[in-house]
Amino acid sequence: MTTTPMTAIETEDRRQYRTTRRRDFAVDLSMALATILAALVIGFLVMLATGNDPIRAYEAMLTGPLDRSFRVGRWLEDATTLTLLGLSVAIPFRARQISLGAESQVYAGALAAATVSIFLPLPPVVAVVVPMAAAAAAGAGMGLVPGTMKARLGANEIVATLMLNAIVVRVYDYLVNGPLKEPGSNAVHSENIRPDSALTPLSDWFGIPLGRANIGLGVMLLTAVALWLLITRTPLGYRIRMTGANPDFAAYGGIRVPRVIEWSFVIGGAVAGLAGAHLVQGVYGRLEPGLAGSLAFEGIVVALLARNNPLVVVVAGLFYSYLRAGGDIMEQQTDVGTEIVVVIQAVIVLLVTAQALPNLLKRRIARRQVGVR
Amino acid sequence: MMNEPWGKDGPAVAARQVTKTYANGVRAVRAVDLEIPPGEIRAVVGENGAGKSTLMKMFYGLEQPSAGEILVGGRPRVLRGPASAIALGVGMVHQNLMLVPSFTVAQNVVLGVEPGRRGLVDPKAAVETTARLAEESGLVVDPRARVEEVSVGMRQRTEILKALHRRARVLILDEPTAVLTPQETEDLFAAVRRLRDGGMTVLFISHKLREVREISDKVSVMRAGSLVGTVATADATERSLASMMVGRDMSLDVDRTPARPAEPTLRVRSLGYEAATAQSLHGLDFDVAAGEIVGVAGIEGNGQSELAEILAGLRRPTAGTVHIDGTDTAGLDVAGHRRAGIGYVPEDRLHNGAALDASIADNLVVDRHDRPPLARRGVLHPGAVREHADRLIDQYAIRTPDPSVPVRALSGGNMQKVIVARELSAGPRLLIASQVTRGVDIGAMRFMYERLVAARDAGAAVLLISADLTELLALSDRLLVLKDGRLVARFDDTTGLTEKRVGLYMLGVERHDRDHLTAHLETPGEEAP
Repeated sequence: MTTTPMTAIETEDRRQYRTTRRRDFAVDLSMALATILAALVIGFLVMLATGNDPIRAYEAMLTGPLDRSFRVGRWLEDATTLTLLGLSVAIPFRARQISLGAESQVYAGALAAATVSIFLPLPPVVAVVVPMAAAAAAGAGMGLVPGTMKARLGANEIVATLMLNAIVVRVYDYLVNGPLKEPGSNAVHSENIRPDSALTPLSDWFGIPLGRANIGLGVMLLTAVALWLLITRTPLGYRIRMTGANPDFAAYGGIRVPRVIEWSFVIGGAVAGLAGAHLVQGVYGRLEPGLAGSLAFEGIVVALLARNNPLVVVVAGLFYSYLRAGGDIMEQQTDVGTEIVVVIQAVIVLLVTAQALPNLLKRRIARRQVGVR
Repeated sequence: MMNEPWGKDGPAVAARQVTKTYANGVRAVRAVDLEIPPGEIRAVVGENGAGKSTLMKMFYGLEQPSAGEILVGGRPRVLRGPASAIALGVGMVHQNLMLVPSFTVAQNVVLGVEPGRRGLVDPKAAVETTARLAEESGLVVDPRARVEEVSVGMRQRTEILKALHRRARVLILDEPTAVLTPQETEDLFAAVRRLRDGGMTVLFISHKLREVREISDKVSVMRAGSLVGTVATADATERSLASMMVGRDMSLDVDRTPARPAEPTLRVRSLGYEAATAQSLHGLDFDVAAGEIVGVAGIEGNGQSELAEILAGLRRPTAGTVHIDGTDTAGLDVAGHRRAGIGYVPEDRLHNGAALDASIADNLVVDRHDRPPLARRGVLHPGAVREHADRLIDQYAIRTPDPSVPVRALSGGNMQKVIVARELSAGPRLLIASQVTRGVDIGAMRFMYERLVAARDAGAAVLLISADLTELLALSDRLLVLKDGRLVARFDDTTGLTEKRVGLYMLGVERHDRDHLTAHLETPGEEAP
């Protein structure tokens, strides 16, 4: 005897099944909104408890980023990097590989993009594309190392990626402080990239000041769509999904699991490399120490929130960046620090990763329906 | 530990209007009334999902009824967990034995109720207690042997002794014979009868109707959560029970014309396998011809799994050769084996037969997702994958509202149909079917049998590996027996072959000599005229 009770789903007809699916989707969506609301309420209570004015703070946080056009620009610029980094981990996650290597990949990408766009004179357009390609290749290389270690040697990918991060960040710091430092400058940063290599700012297109937001946003959106197509519309995407769903099944079906694992790391690395190119060619125009900040790790959160669906990662990235941008504005305008944003983010992450909640709700609904019948 | 008082008369265990609705809305048991008087062996039979396991779990406190009441010892009881069931004298032996492998038999028997004082266990008393219980009940065990080193049969006897040690007066046996050889089954039955004669009430869950008829006093049949009826075993036939179980007349007899074997499709020569964590194989030689079903019998863990996985390309042999229609499979990966024409229904469908969280459609294409008509020029067409799934769902009668349903939501038999549909629709030249009907209901079982015979008649070579001897004898044109990684018997004609006779070879009491085992095997490459 198997222990699973006979399942109700088999006996449903197609119409019933679709109704259930639509209902489940509605539950998921409303749960997501309820989660955000709950997090905001908790933040509200925390501010109240610490003697702050929560209404003023929330006003600054929730409407602030849209207040002025350059603030919108800052939000979009941040969201571009964050979403690319979220996408970069979503792909290995789909293959059930816990890659934490976005940090090494983004810095490798930044180095590659900067080196090419500072030292290599190229004609227009090509000058934009080649550094980005170099960044993607460098990121992919940084993905291949832990990917191969995991796939062929059985190394733990978490350890491998974290150790590689440590190495690459030190090398990056050394290069920015040493060989690549702008000669004769007091501040620590590299020379500026050649103007031809810069990603066109969105301000030029829309004629309103949008800060440092640039066409990297478009690159990010295209990347998301491309990755979604990769996952859903290509044999490699299928292999990644099956490897993630059950590696033993994939191997049994004739899929070369180690190769799929390597590919998932390489693709993720390339996308993180693009995030590095975006930071260099679009945001800073040069190498600066710690230019990715904590974005590499927040990308993991974004991927988890989006359940590793590339299109949802875009939504999650935009949302998460909005909270980040709003938090900064709140800190500037009120006494409330950005810590409260961290609290809100943490609550959201906790509630979203606790997938039991929506399932509980769905089951409750299902039971009620059975009772009615 | 003292048992709580039982009422003087009345049933040992009973259910009154018991209903169990699971949290996901599935009603597994519906208004069941069941009474088992003391000192009776009661068989409870039913298809998968009929609710018999759920009912037993309620008797053992693992599940609580949503409505109705459970009676133990003549009184209504609330069983909050197995601990309260055990306190009332109810013991259960699960299908998956639950013992501590690194402990000795005696340590397992007394576990939780150890003899000794002041928190110290008295190992000598434990061994003595175990030996005494074994003596009384006729369940032969070696109290000092470690559980991981003893046979499955002894592990099971240990489980029963454990229940006896806790003074069980009701014993629930969940498919106890699934892991036993015919001889071990006989011994178990003798012990169970002895326990019954000593006043024990036994609930015997099984789907092997022949055994049910042999051991039980009465049979209760469940179907779709309800109790269909209870009949005296003497008045029942296998056929009458089967039709009660499925609600219509049905037999498991397989219509099978004699095989018309052609040239050998599979040739295995001097196959050897050595691995640290698996059963080794030694010098296997055999053929499977196109158009015949060759069964592989053996107690589980004697190399059947390893053999199947080697043939499917999941393990690499360390010696010998395997040819499929003249293709040497050495050095080929899994995909290469599949290209050579091998289909494989794995023994554990949950482990590697399916990706449970992936859709039925995705599960059906794992071996063909990268080629037309599903994929062209590097693009996988979801529409084509869906159509492909719709077609197989129709052809193989997979019960589902939609191809996008995750396989996890399917019942055992239906899930197995997904796997069999995938492997057979690839048109394999050699089909390896391992435990193909394990945990599936009678309807699906019959369906699998028909499909295997149909595949044979269409010219496939079928290697059928099973722990169910009845199944092997019903389906196999020829039969091989594996013991300790060696072929010990080869029956080229299965007519008139009995389970008992095969059992002697499975246990190693008898064996065929090498000349018999390798008779008429040609060397690959030297085609016969």
